[in-house]
Amino acid sequence: MIVYVARRVALAVLVVAGVIVLTFVIAHLVPGDPAATWAGPRASAAQVAAARRYLGLDRPAAIQLLSYFGGILTGNWGVSIHTHRPVLSDLAAVAPASLELVTAAMIIALVVAVPLGLISARWPGRAGDQAIRAGSILGVSMPIFWLALILQLVFAQRLRLLPVAGEYSPGLLFTHPLTRVTGFGLIDAPLTGNWPMFGSILGHMLLPAVVIAAYPAGLLTRMIRAQVLDTVGDAHIQMVRALGFGERAVFGRFAMKLAWNPVAAAVALVFAYSLVNTFLVEAIFDWPGLGSYATASITSLDTPAILGVTLFIALVYVAANLAVDIFQAAIDPRIRLR
Amino acid sequence: MKPHRGGLLLASGSALALLLAACGGSSSSAPPHAASQVFTYDTTAPVMDDGWDPATEYSDGIIAMNNMYETLTRYNAVTHKADPLLATSWSKSADGLTWTFHLRQGVHFHTGRLMTAQAAKAALMRTIKLGGGAAYVFSAVKTISTPDDSTLVFHLKYAAPMDLAASAAYSAYIYDTQAPGGGSLSKWFNAPHDSGTGPYTVQTWNKGQEFEVILKAYPGYWGGWSGPHYKKVVFRVVSQDSTAAQLLRSGQVTFVEQVSPSVWQSFKGDPGIRTVSAPSWQNLLAQINSKALDLKLRQAISYGINYPGIIAALRGAAVSSSGIIPDGLFGHSASLPNYAYDPGKAAQMLKQAGYGPGGKPLNLTLTYTQGDSNEQVVATLLKSSLAKLNVNLRTQSLAWPTQWAKAKSSNTANHQSIFLEYWWPDFADPSTWFTNLLLTEHPPYYNLSYYSNPALDKQINKVDELTATDPAAGSQLYHTMQVEVLQEAPLQALYNVNYQYAMRTSFSGFVSNPAYAGVVFVHDLKPTG
Amino acid sequence: MIEAPSTLPTGGARLPRGQALRRGLAANPLLVAGGLLSALIVLMALLAPLLAPFPGDAGSATHPFLVLRPPSAQHWFGTDNVGRDVYSRVLYGARISPLIAVVVLAISCAVGIPLGVAAGYFGGWLDEVIMRVTDIFLAFPPLLLALALAAVLPASITTVIIVIALTWWPWYTRLIRGQAASVAGRPYIDGCRALGISRRRIIFRHILPNSITPLIIQVSLDVGGVILTVSALSFLGLGAQDPTPDWGLMVAEGQNYFLTSWWVVTFPGIAILVTAFAFTLLGDGLRDLMDPKRIFLR
Repeated sequence: MIVYVARRVALAVLVVAGVIVLTFVIAHLVPGDPAATWAGPRASAAQVAAARRYLGLDRPAAIQLLSYFGGILTGNWGVSIHTHRPVLSDLAAVAPASLELVTAAMIIALVVAVPLGLISARWPGRAGDQAIRAGSILGVSMPIFWLALILQLVFAQRLRLLPVAGEYSPGLLFTHPLTRVTGFGLIDAPLTGNWPMFGSILGHMLLPAVVIAAYPAGLLTRMIRAQVLDTVGDAHIQMVRALGFGERAVFGRFAMKLAWNPVAAAVALVFAYSLVNTFLVEAIFDWPGLGSYATASITSLDTPAILGVTLFIALVYVAANLAVDIFQAAIDPRIRLR
Repeated sequence: MKPHRGGLLLASGSALALLLAACGGSSSSAPPHAASQVFTYDTTAPVMDDGWDPATEYSDGIIAMNNMYETLTRYNAVTHKADPLLATSWSKSADGLTWTFHLRQGVHFHTGRLMTAQAAKAALMRTIKLGGGAAYVFSAVKTISTPDDSTLVFHLKYAAPMDLAASAAYSAYIYDTQAPGGGSLSKWFNAPHDSGTGPYTVQTWNKGQEFEVILKAYPGYWGGWSGPHYKKVVFRVVSQDSTAAQLLRSGQVTFVEQVSPSVWQSFKGDPGIRTVSAPSWQNLLAQINSKALDLKLRQAISYGINYPGIIAALRGAAVSSSGIIPDGLFGHSASLPNYAYDPGKAAQMLKQAGYGPGGKPLNLTLTYTQGDSNEQVVATLLKSSLAKLNVNLRTQSLAWPTQWAKAKSSNTANHQSIFLEYWWPDFADPSTWFTNLLLTEHPPYYNLSYYSNPALDKQINKVDELTATDPAAGSQLYHTMQVEVLQEAPLQALYNVNYQYAMRTSFSGFVSNPAYAGVVFVHDLKPTG
Repeated sequence: MIEAPSTLPTGGARLPRGQALRRGLAANPLLVAGGLLSALIVLMALLAPLLAPFPGDAGSATHPFLVLRPPSAQHWFGTDNVGRDVYSRVLYGARISPLIAVVVLAISCAVGIPLGVAAGYFGGWLDEVIMRVTDIFLAFPPLLLALALAAVLPASITTVIIVIALTWWPWYTRLIRGQAASVAGRPYIDGCRALGISRRRIIFRHILPNSITPLIIQVSLDVGGVILTVSALSFLGLGAQDPTPDWGLMVAEGQNYFLTSWWVVTFPGIAILVTAFAFTLLGDGLRDLMDPKRIFLR
């Protein structure tokens, strides 16, 4: 087991190194001369040359790469051109809101996917199954940004059931201001006993979370259906049936239990995937997370910020993959022996 | 830097948010009595991006600064004259070279110091020395003297309307220069602090966030606080039109600076919302690259622009313009030989140069400011009408700093063919369209048609003085210059911007003042809601 | 994207014929629906110039006096913010996203197949290197890498094609490598080698044909994903530029007017949804058809 974990970790480290190199390459794909941009349009040739020296662009590419590497590892992810703050502290400020949002979305997705996947697997081929399969394909085919606009129009504008945008009601800024402890609104509010704020954040989170949940819900429904169908043919399920357990128990207790392993893996991966989907949704709902930050960075061509977000999410993805690998190996010994 | 405000920003929703959503709010539970205390101004772009120094601010910050700082005079758009503000009266000498201002007594800066003539002089001298923002409005000033504590005398190099200059929207603020008591003043300003005399002072600045600036009432304001007044002013940055609209409808916002015309129309008939359409002194200019395109081509392009189409497409946000000086300003003339949309004539002129339908395609580039949905519509319409003339117009949307840097770059091959930008005066004087946009400039700064006409330059350098000493002659000269500009076609004013404000009915006293674009003087309002 | 390779049967499922095929189709209404819908979309794209009432509106034509008109008899889907007919633009848009998807997937296959074959068949250090490189690319969730690249490169359709292809090729490399490795490991391949049959013949006669089926399934499943990615990039302004009638771009441009002119956003969005749905349905149905395990279970 230890050997397996060590190997996976070593692989993950290698991948992370590669990811950093790739972001370095992307950073240098930006057309134009960064030294000239830094020095400004009225700079003389000497000033541009000085800027080049200051930015370290006159050093050979390998040295630049090494210092970039060093910077990343020591927490220097560059300074955002737009906010003039270090990118890492920007990320620390905006990441919690997105992590909250995506977590809520995953919960919604699971609440939908587990029962639907089980029903679909219980009666495969029938009308209900076809409808659920069509529905789940609809979920994964959904253009997220469009769904966000539509739901916002229908539920927030026309029906006035839910708030349009923002993280919480603006009035609460003055009557019940939120003291940040962890950075996560849904944790800080109950921690400080700020229940009006808690309710307000939940209400504002609902629509964007539902939008982001569409893809995971569709994906997980299909996955659960496939996994459960796979396992019900197995020998030990026949044994369970032979023991007299009814179909409901077979599907609900036993098959689902076995399906959890690959499903949990998928949940971790689609979590990271959904973090990217926030780029398309947060700006529409004025949700102050990673997505809004990324969208703003893209429109203002803030390369350090764009790359900071990219690197951050890639690292989350690698970490999720690693965690999944180790978790699966811990549960299923066959994997370690491969 | 000249900002891009005034145009409708993509997903822009400037809504003044009433912080306490009591007046009809669906998702807030704030106590109602507080509603009349807070005025939230919703804008689409960050307010204080240009910094907190009143001497150099030259962007959207004036919407906040004009509530913290005051000027000697304030322009009255109804009477076309300057009203007293920090100065109670003024007079000028017969030759117009000496202006004497008598200052208001008992005015204190937010730092506690009394405003004296010496303090006012120090502020103005610093502004002039720094030379940023619109400091050029004081370029006629030779020296300033202070014969006593409450008298300020301007000695000018040439005659100029100092009462109007002192009312400028930028760079004319009177502030306490001794605020930090020894340290760097600009650092102190950017902390942020303010050392103005106005009714409000800065409470918080959340840079880069939605509730960006919060101002609180300055109890010692010379104008007093008797009667109902707003005690807090919040500037809220909301990028989405639809968000802003909903916020206004639910009463969470008090004033919407800008939404798309259709959204603005949809407010009509909403109980609790008042819509105000007001003329501005802002126009949208298409600056045509005079180095790359000769006279015939520029004129052909000018005939190939669908002016009525653009105005129709903007549905109330634009009105047609005559010449380049907007209606309401001195020097405006309705009887100028303006261009009409005449594709036939344009095609003919292009043909003479070998282009046009059936000839060589003419490849041009146009840059406009990203985030401005009106400019995007204009760019698309321009592209479309020019395409019929076998002119391929490549349109590029860029962030304003990028758009501007590209136009100013020393690599002339990088220069666009057409530069779209808004222009408006820094104070009630039309010379800015000429001095900033048409005077020969090496290297270019705002003259982004790269136009050089020495004869016109001479006239431009003369017009200010002429206006100050002989207004009738000044007006005539403006007319002559506009005729020349139309003939030469280095730029076209595509339309004049119409402000489309929307606000709650929970207050009264709002007057739109084109001299201060987008500014709401909150202390003048009376909350009733 | 995340779901495909691991659950695919290795060892190559043979295509059922005749009666088995008909039975498969009848038992698989989703495949039929997906196939018909996809065919319909392709047909509309091809016939766009004939079907569109205002073909010029898909180009640079504008009608400034008809802006933001609601759906009516003349404009079935209404007009946009410069007066263009939304229905015509949606029709022409059917030529753009699917075409981009085809080009992207062709490039991904062209790059991924040789690399996958090389890695799977030859094994050893070549396999290691190629796999590590694909791992690095796969460390980015699909949209992310495309976004980062597109954000730094000039916005255009070409950029979109390049960046999505760069994101997609690793999946095919993995897929083909898996197939190649499993086939290469079989005893009869050793037999072929012992008989002196050339590597090239082995690759082309044995490995590739076995890989086709899962490849086809994967490609048809991916069309929907690529279309969604293209529209996401266009929505963020990183793809096709005005006046190209790209659906994602149309949604982005209509956002501002959505509150009062819902049609500008709704119809292009439905087009994206229906197209992605149709091709994913088709791919899903194909997978079911060719997976003997699934048929058995039913």
